[in-house]
Amino acid sequence: MVSARSVSVGPSSLGYTDLPWIIQHREDRCTLCGRCTAVCPKEAIYLAYRRQRMPKLDVLKKARGNEYRTFVGIRQKTNMANTCIGCSMCTMVCPNEAIMPVPNTNEHRTLFFHNQKGQPQTRGGRRNVSGPNLLDRIMFDRISMLTDPALDAGRHEFNLTTTLGRTLAPEEFLKRQREGGWIPPTREIFPFVIGSMSFGALSPNAWLGLLQGVAYCNEVLGIPVVMCTGEGGCPPWVLRSPYLKYIVLQIASGYFGWDEIIRAIPEMQCDPAAIEIKYGQGAKPGDGGLLMWFKVSKLIARLRGVPEGVDLPSPPVHQTLYSIEESVMKMIQTMSTAFGHKVPVYPKISASTSAKSVLNNLVRNPYAGGLLIDGIDGGTGAAYNISMDATGHPIASNVRECYLDLVAQGKQNEIPIFAAGGIGKNGNVTQNGMALIMLGASGVHIGKYVMQAATGCLGNEKSRCNVCNVGICPKGITSQNPKLYRRLDPDLVAERVSEVFMSISTEAKKIMAPLGRSQSLPVGMSDALGISDKDAADRLGIRYVC
Amino acid sequence: MSTIVVKGLDENGHRISSMVFENLVRDAADKTNHLSLETFGQHNIGIRLHRADGLTIETSGPAGQRLGCMGMPGTSIICHGSASDDVGYLNIGAEITVLGDATNGVCSAMANGKVYIRGSIGARGLTMTKWNPDYQRPELWVLGSTGDSFAEFNCGGIAVVCGIDAKNPANILGYRPCVGMVGGTIYFRGQIDGSHPKTNARLDRPTDEQWQWLMEGMGKYLEKIGRTDLMATLSVRDEWQMLLTITPQERALMFSGPMPMAEFRNKHWNKAFGGGDPLRDIAPGLDRSPIEAVPTGDLRRKKPFWANRESAAPCTYYCPVHIPTVDRLRLIREGKIDEAYEMLLRYTPLPASVCGAVCPNLCMENCSRSGVDESIDVQLLGRAVANVPAPTMAAPIGKKVAIIGGGPAGMNAAWQLAQAGVEAHIFEQDKQIGGKLAQVIPWERLSKAVWDQEIKRFLDTSNIHVHLSVDMNKEKFKELQSNFDYVVVAVGTHEPRRIPFPGNERVIPALHFLKNAKSSIPDKIGKEVVIIGAGNVGCDVACEAYRLGAEKVTLVDIQKPLAFGKEKEAAEALGATFRWPVMTREVTDQGLVMDTGELIPAQTVIISIGDVPSLKFLPETVETVTVGGAAWIKTQDSHLTTNAKVLAVGDVEKPGLATNALGAGKTAAEFIIADFNGVQWKPFTQHPITQQALTITHYVPDEHIRIHTEQAQAESCLSCASCRDCHLCETICPTGAITRRELEYGHTNGYESGLDGSWEYTSDNKKCIACGFCADTCPCGIWMMRTF
Repeated sequence: MVSARSVSVGPSSLGYTDLPWIIQHREDRCTLCGRCTAVCPKEAIYLAYRRQRMPKLDVLKKARGNEYRTFVGIRQKTNMANTCIGCSMCTMVCPNEAIMPVPNTNEHRTLFFHNQKGQPQTRGGRRNVSGPNLLDRIMFDRISMLTDPALDAGRHEFNLTTTLGRTLAPEEFLKRQREGGWIPPTREIFPFVIGSMSFGALSPNAWLGLLQGVAYCNEVLGIPVVMCTGEGGCPPWVLRSPYLKYIVLQIASGYFGWDEIIRAIPEMQCDPAAIEIKYGQGAKPGDGGLLMWFKVSKLIARLRGVPEGVDLPSPPVHQTLYSIEESVMKMIQTMSTAFGHKVPVYPKISASTSAKSVLNNLVRNPYAGGLLIDGIDGGTGAAYNISMDATGHPIASNVRECYLDLVAQGKQNEIPIFAAGGIGKNGNVTQNGMALIMLGASGVHIGKYVMQAATGCLGNEKSRCNVCNVGICPKGITSQNPKLYRRLDPDLVAERVSEVFMSISTEAKKIMAPLGRSQSLPVGMSDALGISDKDAADRLGIRYVC
Repeated sequence: MSTIVVKGLDENGHRISSMVFENLVRDAADKTNHLSLETFGQHNIGIRLHRADGLTIETSGPAGQRLGCMGMPGTSIICHGSASDDVGYLNIGAEITVLGDATNGVCSAMANGKVYIRGSIGARGLTMTKWNPDYQRPELWVLGSTGDSFAEFNCGGIAVVCGIDAKNPANILGYRPCVGMVGGTIYFRGQIDGSHPKTNARLDRPTDEQWQWLMEGMGKYLEKIGRTDLMATLSVRDEWQMLLTITPQERALMFSGPMPMAEFRNKHWNKAFGGGDPLRDIAPGLDRSPIEAVPTGDLRRKKPFWANRESAAPCTYYCPVHIPTVDRLRLIREGKIDEAYEMLLRYTPLPASVCGAVCPNLCMENCSRSGVDESIDVQLLGRAVANVPAPTMAAPIGKKVAIIGGGPAGMNAAWQLAQAGVEAHIFEQDKQIGGKLAQVIPWERLSKAVWDQEIKRFLDTSNIHVHLSVDMNKEKFKELQSNFDYVVVAVGTHEPRRIPFPGNERVIPALHFLKNAKSSIPDKIGKEVVIIGAGNVGCDVACEAYRLGAEKVTLVDIQKPLAFGKEKEAAEALGATFRWPVMTREVTDQGLVMDTGELIPAQTVIISIGDVPSLKFLPETVETVTVGGAAWIKTQDSHLTTNAKVLAVGDVEKPGLATNALGAGKTAAEFIIADFNGVQWKPFTQHPITQQALTITHYVPDEHIRIHTEQAQAESCLSCASCRDCHLCETICPTGAITRRELEYGHTNGYESGLDGSWEYTSDNKKCIACGFCADTCPCGIWMMRTF
């Protein structure tokens, strides 16, 4: 029996100024059309009636009393479950510019309450550190003008592809060719790969929109872009389509959807681009997928081979693998064999101080087709905030160290390293990617950037939106509710994918042309890099410039 | 003027340098307007040469680079043979005719003038041309074909490429023409490879005007190069195509890919999956087509439900009898006072005594109106019914129920059964009915006049038979079981609890004290009284003690006193004090000795720590549960005991308020009646409406609520969870989706309570966008946004 009059102010009670986003509503502009409250993914706003007391305080008259005025406005809720996430969908649908979320410039207090019911904060997005990162600060400072053939990014033709897969040493290659030995498969691909985002983490319209864009890039634009499935499997029709060659199939500790993949093998029209074995992820090292029940729709359940509406946490490790050697022996070999040793197989690991050990093991493994290292700034659809913000290793020095290790062994042209994690975090996708390539990566994986650029993700590194994990994505990118994901037009996603890759392609040329490179990607061309940070320059072994 | 010949070789047969040759040519041009140059690879022939009367330069012999470079208007250069690179470089008006092929870079950066080529040209022709609109456009006419990278960054030049004896007939414009082209037009006749960037140039056919221009120019061109024989061949309009510049304005409107995405989807994408959606096998019928962000119909994530009377008003919910005060007040608002009274009486036989007096009024405690100003005065409403006659009872249906105990629980069981036509027999141990209400509640708190009135109304009711002074025992119970359809045990608790501390025999149980206090022979008490147990009964004891002459009453307890409300206020008003924690060591003739040794002086010590049931008459089939050292009858929600024909209600289950007893009696009767009617009994399962669901800001604090009339109370009711037909939802709905319609009489929407009129509000799915404004606006909390 709580008295109607009582308003409890508890430890978790918050006011508007405690919230990360404050709704500014202009009553003078509002037409009360209801579109903002209808679209809000968090039910954070509602039509509020407020009553104002207007006392009549005429000291000379006997007639006294109070009058009341009632007024309406759109207000936000202050409980943790319904706090505004700043997505701005309200602003987008408002016909009168009457409403918008404004970032709270004060230190907001919800940070202290993301632990209701003892559950630490989980979210989507990436590490909440904004501002220029190290990659943004790298300059391409060796400009060939009259010292080398002048190249014109607009007119000259460039070969922008990179090799995915194991390249044999020349003498070994010739020997095997002569003797009819196995030549490991390779692919010439665009060095910016759409990183693993699962069918499940992404909505059907987002995932298929990306694939449609990838197909367009390959078949219409001639840009050989490939994308990785993530661990949610791949729709059977796609497995049996000619587009499979643009797809890197991922196998991860959840093993979702692999029954359909194996079932499709005899009917595949072509081989997949590669097989990625996920051992770790930059956004949440030590954690696997965290697909929760509200995203496990009938369709996702069907594709993953699980019941509808169950939680699908993937274990952080492959349950039967206990060492690098075992992983390499069992999984890489099995995956290679599954596709007749005609498909490159490579592992994906979280960037870590132990990355070199993994790499060296792969160097000795004849079936390993590369290594993908994913840094701390990588994005994800669902992770514990603590994993995202504090766990992991930045990508630049990790890749650099691994590359130099290969150089020391003379193996840098044999096993490609791919880099991921925060590439394009601030929009400088080509610059970031090319910097990593020149530090030694053969190519980069971009996931979150593609979500932002191609599907219209609203998230940022200042806690905006980032509700990918709970299936309420207001753009329909990471929701499995058709009422949300149908907001996303796959054709428009595909168009954006093609625009993104056309643009990256041009920008890559704009970087390569002044270096005097047009026919091979400047992998490891670190003599053309400079940074105005002495420590970083020393650590990366590049030029300090100022 | 005569022709001057300038030779490229000196008398010794050595090549004259370009610098010297240029001086010779310049000198010659000063003297005449017709030069014949026998070149030997000298560069920049014709550079900056100009005569007001025009100048014609004919060259023969090997041509150097940049023939006609920076040519001026009025100058005409004819090269008898093939030319080297960059013919017409930076030309601003000269007419240059090459009667052979030209190599790379023809017309590079040319801004005006014409270049006529009788053969084909090399790579990078027509690049970087300009066009100053104050002058004519530059033109390039080629009889054969062009090399690669033709017309890069072309800005104003017009090219005509005729495709006669092309170097590569399969591709007469070379690889990747028009890169970066921002202006100009290319007419061509023959095949091309389509490698031009689709964002720079587009294919088209000449318009009539363009065709006319082409044919006029063609005549002159063929004459210049001496191939008028080709006129007919080159006049087949269908063979001519054009590459036109795409303007930045046009480009801004284009999707930058060369193929519209819809076309790609239809021609390639769908085909790759056997001609359909790639998910059709694992998700048959899945519609993924795009929708807008604020949809109507089934695409909404939630929709409004008019959940009228689905929840309970707090008054109804918190009242143990679930008296729908909210409906009662609506009847009063509708002017149906008699119906309102009758409704209340159908819920309880003791509205004035309980609702109006002894009940702590849980309904009022939870009343939503208190969020505006103060709660509805339910006591007033209860008292108003004191003198109202009983409602009509149904004709007997031939069923009989025995009720043991005539307290509030038993009375309401009988009252409800009687209304349904069941013969209800009350067997009461005492000489009067009413239980503890009659026996122990001081008359100060329960007016005797009101009580007598309500008891009289009860006793006068048909179908109710009261048997007083009946001692119950096992045999008698068995007899009742065989003579009646059901037996309801409602004997309450009449065995005082005691504590065996030394001197406990000196202590008077509260139950006895209060019973005697209400009789004609009250107990004699001292000036100082200590009451062990400071609950509400203890407070009643204190009041009665003061009435009977006590001067100082102390209530002690081992814990914080549980007393609250009217009883506590009354005791404190008389001067009673509370002490706790107090552990009793013993009671002596001096008073109560605490375990600390302290004495609280008292001539009279009364113990008020509750009473327990006395259940010796019960058969073994009725199980009990032992709590706190006493046995209580075990019951289900329906108050059915372990014996399917025996029910138990009131304090015998667990101690409670008089209103709990009334509620239990009603529920038990409903169970029995349902059984007699052969229907499934349904418990009260409504949830209370939440404060948040209501919009109480529509109401303003009202001084009139302080005028305690039934009408004022009725006007102040917020009508929680029950639509008050205010039309606010209809008004606020931004899409006009909500309409009200009158329902035919008899349509039950909760109007079983006898309310007038029946209506409902509906929301049109085709119009509703699920903004939730109806739910946010509804003062009564009827509209609910729910997923569907």
